[in-house]
Amino acid sequence: MIFRRSLLLMLLAILLQGCAFSRGTLGDDIRSEAVAAIKKATTTKAEVLSLLGAPDRLLQVNGRDVFQYYRYDAKAGSLLLIIINFSRLSIKSDDLFVILNREGIVEDVISSKRTDGLEFRFWPFGE
Amino acid sequence: MKLPLSGLCPLLLSTVMCVTFVGCNVVRITLNTPLTQDDVAFIVPGQTTLADVITMLGTPDSITDSHTGVVATYRFLDMKYSRVNFGWLLRPWSPVDPDLIISRTGFGADAFELLCDSDWVVTHRSFLRHVSGPRFNPYPF
Repeated sequence: MIFRRSLLLMLLAILLQGCAFSRGTLGDDIRSEAVAAIKKATTTKAEVLSLLGAPDRLLQVNGRDVFQYYRYDAKAGSLLLIIINFSRLSIKSDDLFVILNREGIVEDVISSKRTDGLEFRFWPFGE
Repeated sequence: MKLPLSGLCPLLLSTVMCVTFVGCNVVRITLNTPLTQDDVAFIVPGQTTLADVITMLGTPDSITDSHTGVVATYRFLDMKYSRVNFGWLLRPWSPVDPDLIISRTGFGADAFELLCDSDWVVTHRSFLRHVSGPRFNPYPF
């Protein structure tokens, strides 16, 4: 039994040696509950600001003000073998656009959370 | 002593493999999910709205204004880098760490742009630079 455990530990140590995992993020997490609290034709510009803070970007689109919030998440995995190294860095973003009409009331909310499916990968081939 | 041919083959093969892969680095960087023509085939100019596109592809990376409407842009990148350091071959016999490196980087940078009218209906759609996907190839010449 002890021999098997030792063997398993040794195998794990061999497999995990030379592995590296890194992560980087840019911007604050866009809270889902804050996004859900924004109601079309009801929520005001001031309420959006109190829920989400100042936008990362303020745009003028189609005669409307658009608040853009974003967050980037990067995950890198490396398999550092002695003669060959494999690395893969995947970057995805979460974006939120709040479209306000001329009266400062929310007209539309567009959001997507791409970072939910982001995984650590080290195999660079394939998709 | 003479090695039999059956014993020589695996030795030769492993030597060739080691020489080929010695000091190799294979790196890939992806930004967002690369879009293809098939992914955007559902967009019919004059019919599809930006909301329909967002339902299928998610939020664009940027929305900008133009004289004729709104431009929504989806950006993505698929970068492949490979590198071989032949200097590794000499490391066991050299007092210094010699480097003889060849490497190549391929950027498959692209963006997909949509032009929408004032009612958010897509009027035009196009890839910014539809480059073919890069390959892992360290040979730079």
